[in-house]
Amino acid sequence: MKLVGIVGTNSTESTNRRLLQYMQQRYGKKVELKICEIVDIPVFDEPEDKTAPKAVQVLSEAIKNSDGVIFATPEYDHSVTAALKNTIEWLSYTTRPLINKPVMIIGASHGSLGTSRAQAHLRQILEAPELKALVMPNVEFLLGRSLQAFDDDGKLVYEDKVKELDKDFNEFISFVELTEKLTVNSKFFEENQKFSWDQVANGEDM
Amino acid sequence: MKFIGIVGTNAKKSYNRMLLQFMQKHFSDQAEIEILELKNVPMFNESKDQSNSPIIQEFNQKIEDADGVIIATPEHNHSIPAALKSIIEWLSFNLHPFDGKAVMIVGASYSVQGSSRAQLHLRQILDAPGVNASVMPGSEFLLGKAQEAFDENGDLKDNRTIDFLDSCFAKFEKFSDIIAQMNIPEDITYEPGTFKVTAVGHNGDLPMEVTLSDDRIEKIDIDTSSETQGIADVAFKRIPQEIIDGQTLNVDVVSGASITSNGVIDGVAKAVKMAGANPDILKKRKKSAGPNKQNVVEYNTDVVVVGAGGAGLTAAARVIQDGSKAIVVEKFPAVGGNTVRAGGPMNAADPEWQNKFQEIPGERHTLKEIMEIDESTIDSDYLADFQALKKQIAEYLQENEDKKAYLFDSKLLHRIQTYLGGKRTDLNGNKIYGQYDLVKVLTDHALESVKWLEDIGVKFDKTQVTMPVGALWRRGHKPLGSQGFAFIEALKKFVESHGSEIITDTAVKQLIIEDGKVCGVIARSSDGKKVIVHAKAVILASGGFGANTKMLKQYNTYWSNIDDNIKTTNSPAITGDGIRLGVSAGAKLVGMGFSQMMPVSDPETGELFSGLQVPPQNFVMVNQKGKRFVNEYGSRDELTKAAIDNGSLFYLIADDKIKKTAYNTSQAQIDKQVEQGTLYRDDTLEGLAKQLGMDPEVFVDTINKYNSYVDNGEDPEFHKSAFDLKVKVAPFYATPRKAAVHHTMGGLKIDTKAHVINEKGEIIQGLYAAGEVAGGIHAGNRLGGNSLSDIFTFGRIAANNALEDM
Ligand SMILES: Cc1cc2nc3c(=O)[nH]c(=O)nc-3n(C[C@H](O)[C@H](O)[C@H](O)COP(=O)(O)OP(=O)(O)OC[C@H]3O[C@@H](n4cnc5c(N)ncnc54)[C@H](O)[C@@H]3O)c2cc1C
Ligand SMILES: Cc1cc2nc3c(=O)[nH]c(=O)nc-3n(C[C@H](O)[C@H](O)[C@H](O)COP(=O)(O)O)c2cc1C
Repeated sequence: MKLVGIVGTNSTESTNRRLLQYMQQRYGKKVELKICEIVDIPVFDEPEDKTAPKAVQVLSEAIKNSDGVIFATPEYDHSVTAALKNTIEWLSYTTRPLINKPVMIIGASHGSLGTSRAQAHLRQILEAPELKALVMPNVEFLLGRSLQAFDDDGKLVYEDKVKELDKDFNEFISFVELTEKLTVNSKFFEENQKFSWDQVANGEDM
Repeated sequence: MKFIGIVGTNAKKSYNRMLLQFMQKHFSDQAEIEILELKNVPMFNESKDQSNSPIIQEFNQKIEDADGVIIATPEHNHSIPAALKSIIEWLSFNLHPFDGKAVMIVGASYSVQGSSRAQLHLRQILDAPGVNASVMPGSEFLLGKAQEAFDENGDLKDNRTIDFLDSCFAKFEKFSDIIAQMNIPEDITYEPGTFKVTAVGHNGDLPMEVTLSDDRIEKIDIDTSSETQGIADVAFKRIPQEIIDGQTLNVDVVSGASITSNGVIDGVAKAVKMAGANPDILKKRKKSAGPNKQNVVEYNTDVVVVGAGGAGLTAAARVIQDGSKAIVVEKFPAVGGNTVRAGGPMNAADPEWQNKFQEIPGERHTLKEIMEIDESTIDSDYLADFQALKKQIAEYLQENEDKKAYLFDSKLLHRIQTYLGGKRTDLNGNKIYGQYDLVKVLTDHALESVKWLEDIGVKFDKTQVTMPVGALWRRGHKPLGSQGFAFIEALKKFVESHGSEIITDTAVKQLIIEDGKVCGVIARSSDGKKVIVHAKAVILASGGFGANTKMLKQYNTYWSNIDDNIKTTNSPAITGDGIRLGVSAGAKLVGMGFSQMMPVSDPETGELFSGLQVPPQNFVMVNQKGKRFVNEYGSRDELTKAAIDNGSLFYLIADDKIKKTAYNTSQAQIDKQVEQGTLYRDDTLEGLAKQLGMDPEVFVDTINKYNSYVDNGEDPEFHKSAFDLKVKVAPFYATPRKAAVHHTMGGLKIDTKAHVINEKGEIIQGLYAAGEVAGGIHAGNRLGGNSLSDIFTFGRIAANNALEDM
């Protein structure tokens, strides 16, 4: 199984990156987890030609070629980072690789609350009609106090969190397998790839 | 008002931009809206800080300076655009201009439900601690089907949509006002001492010692033996440093050591609480600007004036007129203190002018009452003047026995009324009345002050003579333009245009005293700068202590009770600083137990000029049952005591004619207040009674009786002594009122030359006081309109003598 993990920030220091690296380490035998960065994605400004810049195309290809996507998101001001939101806007405006793609959301934060608000926002964002990702329901992996969470070898030191991650990750594997069966030749898929907000503008409101 | 509008997208074509442009045009007569664009804002990146780039700085500065921010957000993928999120991140990282700023959210989108999801996200985002904006609740303005909403001129087509936008915007203006008030920096005073506290550390308790002087956090010692070395060390050094540098508890926690950081902050907060102060005030303060900005600025001048209210600016102007140099140090960003709030005219007996007006019903009666006062009740120092006054009155009454006469007045009448009006006995049976020599100076020189103000540039309305609220006689000189502001505007212009500096945002904290002589002040600016002014004389003109409830309660001997949450008509700056400064130089205090309540204040805000605030001859006061309960022409504390006895809340009743005599309002303001439910209006008296939850029969009967008293010129029930208009022309109004702290009569003891006097009765060299900071004149009760006479008279006297003594 091929998975893509997206680091939800452009910061050079990120515990979300470390969390994905830890998962790569821990589940590397079971699945192939490719970590993608968003730091090179330019600022989205609704260009008229609707073509994706190189960095967006590269990311988009990786997503298309994968069986599922893991978003590791920080929380900035109660929501996802502008950098991640920017990436998603490009994807929704140009190539739309996330349609029907199984998605797992995880997040690490320095404080103890975790990233629950950012995760909730991300869920709503990924469910927008021009994205239509299949976000795994009922699972919310929050890693609080993330600066203290990894040892020098990049291992997650909170044992309860390791157990929880194992369980959630296994569930995601099953979720990916299940959705694969459901979505082959889905009509839904085509309709959504055609969806455009201009349609709405033309009076075809949903 | 000045607002910033942010177009929430960087796209070339945007209906949200059109919406803001429409608002800019549509509301141009009410507010200035400057529109900022996101086009050049770089993507936020924590590891590439660009907070100092021109574009981010521009957003930061403009938002800081604005009264509020309007964000127009599109909805992209069920949330706000990344471009908008990016600027918010920049402005919540190292800069925090949104902190406490009023924000209104609007949004345009293609779909019918508008941008509701994006607006909801934006609300949550703006509420994040790093942003901490004050987002206006409710009033979501969502423009759906934006592509059909505008005409070719870019104007909204639908009138109902415009109406709704109007009402949202009106609310936002009010909201910004309220938020601005909340942001006025609050002063803090500690019980000085060293406080031992324990805070929660990473490895258990952290014992700390916090040393506080009366207005500063001086030292923070932490016993760090139990904490692990390393990252926590940074917190132990940096956090106390930032707390002390900025005198604030608003400091960023050290990443990686958040528990220890918060432990230190909480510990200091605990100590602050133990010292009797509210740590939340410190948490709301700005972050420390860093130690490098903590520089010291020194000035040399002839006279330094503490406080840029009426007394202070008057003193400075006098010094300048003499050709000497003055510097005024003012605590607040704006000058004016309580003086700009004054809504009434200033008292000065000017018989030549007053005699041109006719007497009004009731006035002759008042004079006769004075004639009948038993001389044994007059204190001996006033007796000779009292007898001389009686002679004047007798002549006047005789001269005009059978005819309608002109309005009488004299310096003596002003003096005796100031004396009689100020005479009080407190709860302990101590009697007080105005110190004769000071009252004499005041009443002898008040008219001279009017003339002096005219020279400075204040224009007076000579066409009418009025009696201020809480006064006893019609001798008010009313400036043209808005009352208190008219004085301050002219004085400020005079002082600044003659090269004197007014240093605002800077509170005087200490007097410089050398060899028993006061020779300067030490002040601190709101951004932490130490300001030292060396001078040959210091004039304290910092006003009273009406906004310092703790101090009021500490000295009070007059009111049976002062509520902890009592409202005040005063500026929040009026916290008795000058009295403390004087005491630090050994000054004697007089009459501190006597404070004045303003019976006719707004029950919610303490404001005086909400609703219909009319001259007292037009007051018709009814209690919550719809009955009159007091002589409306009575003194302030008669009214206050009666109001308290009648359940505090009462109403001022007006008809359409009385409405026209109201101060400081306009029809638009009146309509707005009726709409907001802070003023009641009805076409019938019965209807008004019903709105107020009164028995209409009782209320109508009250008004009918009142009208008949006006006709007869006499009130057998409460003996109201002067009337003007009846209540008879619809629509009728009711303004809810309650008592609030208004004036503090007590203060520094001064002599007739405004020298501050010490406990031994000697002059404190180099120290002068003028205005509400000084005591002794108004004694137990300050008459309406006498304060303005006081500040402009003693402000001049203080300056004259400071110059003479040099
Ligand atoms: C709502 C209202 C209406 C009034 N109406 C009337 C009226 O109609 N007629 C009348 O005669 N009187 C009226 N008064 C009373 C009168 O306005 C005041 O008594 C008078 O203005 C006091 O003047 P002042 O110059 O002594 O002090 P203020 O005008 O209050 O000025 C004091 C100044 O000192 C500053 N200050 C305080 N502490 C410091 C410090 N540590 N360092 C530097 N600066 C400091 C303050 O910020 C302020 O600007 C009214 C008062 C109020 C509140
Ligand atoms: C990337 C992208 C995503 C969008 N997502 C949404 C959406 O989730 N909900 C919505 O109502 N409109 C969405 N729209 C269309 C918006 O209605 C439209 O762009 C915008 O809100 C209209 O305002 P503007 O033209 O002023 O930017 C989207 C547009 C773009 C370009």
